Amino acid sequence: MSTTFLPCGVYHENYKQDHAWWQTKFIKSKMFLLFITLFFIIPWMSDSYSLSICNQIGYTILGALGVQLLIGFCGQVTLGHAAFLAVGAYVSTLLVLEFPWPAVFIELGLAYPISIFIAAITAGLWSVLFGLPSARVKGFYLILTTMAAQFITVDFIITQYVSQIGGRGQAFSLPLGTIKVGPWAWGVIDSDIKIYYMMIVLTIICVVGVVNLLRSRVGRAWVAIRDNDISAEVMGIDIIKYKLLAFFVAGFIGGIAGAVWISNLAAISPEHFPWFWSLWLVGVILIGGVGSIHGTIFGSIFMVVVMELLQMAVMPLADTYPKLLMDFLFIKEAAFGLAICAFLIFEPNGLAYRWWQAKNYFNLWPFSY
Amino acid sequence: MNVSKDIKPGEVLLELEEIQMFFGKVCALNGVSTKIKKGEIHSVIGPNGAGKTVMMNCISGLYHPQKGNIYYKGEKINGLKPHNRAKLGIARTFQKVEVFGGMTVLDNIRLGRHIHYNSGIISGSLYMGKTGKEEIEHRKFIEEEIIDLLEIEHIRHKPVGMLPYGLQKRVELGRAIALEPELLLLDEPLAGLNLEEVEDMARFILDVNQEERWKVTCILVEHDMGVVMDLSDNVFVLNFGNMIVDGTPEEVQGNPEVVRAYLGEEDLYATRR
Repeated sequence: MSTTFLPCGVYHENYKQDHAWWQTKFIKSKMFLLFITLFFIIPWMSDSYSLSICNQIGYTILGALGVQLLIGFCGQVTLGHAAFLAVGAYVSTLLVLEFPWPAVFIELGLAYPISIFIAAITAGLWSVLFGLPSARVKGFYLILTTMAAQFITVDFIITQYVSQIGGRGQAFSLPLGTIKVGPWAWGVIDSDIKIYYMMIVLTIICVVGVVNLLRSRVGRAWVAIRDNDISAEVMGIDIIKYKLLAFFVAGFIGGIAGAVWISNLAAISPEHFPWFWSLWLVGVILIGGVGSIHGTIFGSIFMVVVMELLQMAVMPLADTYPKLLMDFLFIKEAAFGLAICAFLIFEPNGLAYRWWQAKNYFNLWPFSY
Repeated sequence: MNVSKDIKPGEVLLELEEIQMFFGKVCALNGVSTKIKKGEIHSVIGPNGAGKTVMMNCISGLYHPQKGNIYYKGEKINGLKPHNRAKLGIARTFQKVEVFGGMTVLDNIRLGRHIHYNSGIISGSLYMGKTGKEEIEHRKFIEEEIIDLLEIEHIRHKPVGMLPYGLQKRVELGRAIALEPELLLLDEPLAGLNLEEVEDMARFILDVNQEERWKVTCILVEHDMGVVMDLSDNVFVLNFGNMIVDGTPEEVQGNPEVVRAYLGEEDLYATRR
């Protein structure tokens, strides 16, 4: 699936060209257009509402990226990823709210960026802790051990103990101005557009990092473990080390996602990270395409946008059928289930495969044989 | 463990000493001993269920025998995990092809060179400097030494899972020699291939064994007697976990016990039932 066709007349003369990200001028200009769209056109065209949807997409991409890495590339099925998002979010919040930062750090607006990094590391290590069973168990059994991560972390540790820190009660409120990046006045993250820029930069960094990993030594080892762990071991891969590394990176990205997401929230509570959200992220990669970075992105866009459209479709009916409004959460869940069923039956390779087909159709047109 | 001694051709590279392997009460290997000299092709033959693959798995570290020792270059490697044995230079192929179906041919072979790459998680995610240079270096090696040798230029970007069986076997061989091993375990490399593919594969095995560039010692498990007798320097015959004979192809062919093992003997068979 990964093979793409080069247009006629494009030849590589050295391996460096063959290893390049964007191999033709056409692709380069396409990516430049995408860059312009992401950084200028979308923020310029959109209102606050559509930007908040974009932020939600970014958050879903960051969350699903870790799940994709574990399930799609390393073959370690995980159903507790929201726990690591929660760890990231809570570590970052606690650092921002409770840590006695020296005044210089606050003034320079370093507290939040540093807290993102520490949150990511913590979530990574926390993820490794729950990845340890993967040394012994595979498949269904691993699903259960990762589910344990969800229940132990969110339902037990965070709800029972972490939420008590500072005596605030269940939710930690994040007053405006606590989330600040850089020494400038506009560094205070208080509007959707600022969150959007932060989100997009971090999403691009994470996606690029993961794609680079996947085409270098570590990523190949992960894919090898997914495809055939016995022969991977015989080829010199320390499979336990690489599985734990995959858990670390997935948790790391999850931590970033959680830590960034708090900038979008007025208050953070354990209800933001339910088990359903872990399942949702798995659904995102199933719909987008397992084992594809494109799939993660398409799946995230699809899920978020479809749910928003559903909401738009349901809301006008709410006047006549008020019960619909009450039941919207359940309608959303039903639509989620339906979408997954439909994709598994009609397009098990996900949206990414359709994208690949479409791209090839145009690349090969008019002689597609 | 650090085994980096240079072994000259003709000296013992791998020694099995009284290997005993049980699965429950089934004795898969019963006190098997042999010496594999550097530079030779040492075949292991025997009827189905004789313990040939178990022997391969013991050498590559997937199984740990209950009794007996394995020496590689004079060092005991009993407790070593498979990935550490790979680092010592022991590569293998499998009877049922165990390629990485979702990866391209090129990536499969690159993966075989895993132990020669250095980039870690940070340099890998940046893909700058060291990692990029390293990838190009190894790509050059793979293209010039392996893909060229095995004649798989036309499929290098294809996912291996979509290739026919014969080519998958070839890719698996490529992946194994990409490790630049000193000892190559070939577990039925010819099983299920057609005549032309058998001839190709036999040629590749000879190339890898004899070309100055490679000079890889091979342990070959095979059922195709014609190929075994033609290629091997030594043949090791197993039957129900017992070693029958270990000698040159001529000795083996003339041995009445070997003939009996292959054609079957009523008494022995009766005790097993």
